[in-house]
Amino acid sequence: MQDHIQLDQKQINDDLLAGVLGMPKWWLPAVLFLTLVVFAGLGSFGYMMNKGLGVTGLNRPVMWGFFIVNFVFWIGISHAGIMISAILRLTQAEWRRPVTRAAEVMTVFSLMAALHTPLFHVGRPWREMWVFPYDFARGVWPNVRSPFVWDPSAVGTYLIASSLFVFIALIPDLAVIRDRAVNPLVKKIYGTMCLGWRGTPRQWKLQAVAGILLSALVLPVFVSVHSIVSWDFAVLIGVEGWHSTIFAPYFIIGAIHSGVSAVAMLMALSVWLWGLDKYLRPDHFDAIGRLLIVVATTWFFFFFLEWVFALYTLEGVEISLRELQVFQWPYGMLFLIFLATAFFIPVPMWMFKSVRRSAFWMFFTTLLVNVGMWLERFLIIIPGLVRRQPFTFDWGTYHPSIIEILIVAETFAFVALGMLLFSKFFPLIPIFDIKEGMVVRDEIKIGRRIVPATIRE
Amino acid sequence: MASGHAEHPGNPALVTAEDVTKDLLGKHEGTSNNFWRVASVFGILLILGIIGFVMRLSDGVSDTAVWGYYAAMFAFILTTAQSAPMVAIAPRIAKAHWRRPISRVAELWTVVGLFNLLLFIPMLWILPPLSDGRRSLWFYFDGGDVPSYSPHIWSTLAILGLVVIGVALLWMSALPDFAMVRDHAPDGWKKRWATRLARGWIGSSAQWNMQKHRLGILGAFYFMMLIFVHFLISVDFLITLVPGWVDSLFPITHAANGLQAGVATVLLTIWALYKFGGYKDYIAFDQIWALGKLLFALSLLWFWFWFSSFNIFWYGGKPEEQAIIELLMSGPYRWAFFGVFFFNFLFPMWTMMWNPLRRSTWGPPIIAASVLIGTFLDRIRLYVSAYSIDGIGNPAINKHVVVEIPETIYPSLADIFIMLGALGGMVFIFLMATRLIPIVNIWEQRELKLYEIHKTFHRTVVKVLGKPD
Repeated sequence: MQDHIQLDQKQINDDLLAGVLGMPKWWLPAVLFLTLVVFAGLGSFGYMMNKGLGVTGLNRPVMWGFFIVNFVFWIGISHAGIMISAILRLTQAEWRRPVTRAAEVMTVFSLMAALHTPLFHVGRPWREMWVFPYDFARGVWPNVRSPFVWDPSAVGTYLIASSLFVFIALIPDLAVIRDRAVNPLVKKIYGTMCLGWRGTPRQWKLQAVAGILLSALVLPVFVSVHSIVSWDFAVLIGVEGWHSTIFAPYFIIGAIHSGVSAVAMLMALSVWLWGLDKYLRPDHFDAIGRLLIVVATTWFFFFFLEWVFALYTLEGVEISLRELQVFQWPYGMLFLIFLATAFFIPVPMWMFKSVRRSAFWMFFTTLLVNVGMWLERFLIIIPGLVRRQPFTFDWGTYHPSIIEILIVAETFAFVALGMLLFSKFFPLIPIFDIKEGMVVRDEIKIGRRIVPATIRE
Repeated sequence: MASGHAEHPGNPALVTAEDVTKDLLGKHEGTSNNFWRVASVFGILLILGIIGFVMRLSDGVSDTAVWGYYAAMFAFILTTAQSAPMVAIAPRIAKAHWRRPISRVAELWTVVGLFNLLLFIPMLWILPPLSDGRRSLWFYFDGGDVPSYSPHIWSTLAILGLVVIGVALLWMSALPDFAMVRDHAPDGWKKRWATRLARGWIGSSAQWNMQKHRLGILGAFYFMMLIFVHFLISVDFLITLVPGWVDSLFPITHAANGLQAGVATVLLTIWALYKFGGYKDYIAFDQIWALGKLLFALSLLWFWFWFSSFNIFWYGGKPEEQAIIELLMSGPYRWAFFGVFFFNFLFPMWTMMWNPLRRSTWGPPIIAASVLIGTFLDRIRLYVSAYSIDGIGNPAINKHVVVEIPETIYPSLADIFIMLGALGGMVFIFLMATRLIPIVNIWEQRELKLYEIHKTFHRTVVKVLGKPD
């Protein structure tokens, strides 16, 4: 981190609490617009409940469409928080400090968004609780061997763990807001939430231990969530292209690819919208760019293996599915867009330092990655179902209806709205972490050079 | 700004970079009788291996079943010694200072690649051509003929590439150390060799920049090549021999096992250096614990990969998948499978979770030994069973499912000799390489003297670590 700016504690408080104690001009219109989109989506859902699933584009044999694609996409985005926070915290990567909070919060809201869509997809959401093995009264038990039953448990556990993760890291910052709040009611609320934090050595120690423990414990949950989501598909033998051993790690590395990209987008937005360029320096974009090169290349290797082994079988049905994905309209065009946006445009661009250090180019390339990764999920799910049946008269096609499009848009608006509301009440960059970073930062003089250094215990 | 450079934490006498150079060169020059005794034992094992190989060769190469243990040993060395350099490459790219005393140990294992290249040559005769009609990576669409020897050609090129890059990496890393040996060692064969290998190194800025740049590139290439070789070997020399085995994750599981066993190999080596090699001033608990944590993470990663494959086969339950489970796990090699499960996963996981054991000098090496035993059993489970499939190379046999699960093949005397010889050869060559190249990286230790200082921070003394761009 060569272009570091040393700031004093007061200035850090002022900068990072500006959004909480004040209100940017754009904030209210943005919240109103996003609320409108959310209500449009919820209205569509209400209409769908009233009329039935027939208002969607779902039909035999394609019974999984935009809703499930979107579910997998948001589960993927939710992997960013833990990737950035837990792994970088455990490896003591200094550049994580200004990035962790936003990534963790995005995890929570994207998990909520992910939970939306299967709830809508089942058509009868009031029976959602049937997936839980509780039904002592009627003796009707869900099949606990099914990944559909594991899904809610895994995602629910992940949501609880992530929320706890966010909360533990928030405590010292809540105390700062408590101390600076003027309104007695606000003071009382933040005072209650920060659990009597006074910053004693014992409290700091407990908070640090809790952070490390949660980081280590949440990692297996993080792995299990997307593994189980992938097994929703991979344990089936009836759909060509789905029954593949690589699906669990392939889904996870894909999730990390899209999730870390989403964090880079958030970083750029934080610089533009909240003016946090003193905290999110070009070095931070450079670091996440380098991480993305590694992640994207690993993801591409998994993608390559998945394809190689599909062709390796030389089975007619499998080969014809791959031909459908690559050569037939509209999937062929989508496949090209997917490959270009998820890998072939961004990765060569990230090789250039000037791109990695630019908020604009990082935003642009990571936006492309997320377009590509959404399409990837679409191309995994839909073509396999289109040709699911052995006879041509049973083949189908899929066109999403406006209802599905509105509900998908609602999930995006929901996450954005959640982030904006969060930023109004809590700092998006962890104040205590930034202050700690300023304290442990040092320099060493070697000959005529000044080398950045870090104090280690 | 930090205040002054502190003394070496391991030994107060090692204050300056010159002290470090003198000390390490002195250790490199001296060779104890114990070293030669140990080297002799491994040399004898290597000779036994050569005898075993000649015995095995006398049976010919047409029956793949009898060559299973040989193939397993080749794969074992690929998985351990040839994967060990990653312990130097990855932390160097991440600029982690803890790697400095152990990076040379990891890189030195690349010379064993030369030995494994020799072991690979007979594999080209053992592996039948693709003309038997089995599935292969090297397919053509539209009914075109498949080149029968594609696996042989591409795997040879890949392994050759891996070995060349590995040796180049070691040489590039050792350049400044060769120059130091050249400048300080007494006249003799070491000085002559060091002079040749140092290639006129004088430590100019241009040379340092070139060395740093090339180390990064060679490291990245070694990693990519290692993954590629694992991919080719695990598919061409394993999966394709078993009808119906379609496992897109397996090449990665094979490579993950390589990273796990590579770390275990380096951990065990540095522990031996720490305990018996007289390098306690350099190799500290920090390195052993750091590798222990890495080993823990990689053991979990390997298990997750294995479980992901197993779960899909278990749930799929297709006849070919059930046959694979029986062949590799529940059938004739279940003793090896349960051994792998215990040594590679259960034992590392349940012990490494326990802080007092992980943060001890005995815990991590015992766990590393467990992982190496597990990896050894895993190679036997996979390769001996695959090579024992009836009808490899016979076009008349069903290539889409294992029709008959073969009996267990236990090692013959020749196989035992081959296994001992491969292990002996691996260690013997490593030991011989340490006579030519200093086993602790001198220039990286000197560099650490610049980047690491200790200073007072409030009421305590803290370590300050520089991290250059």
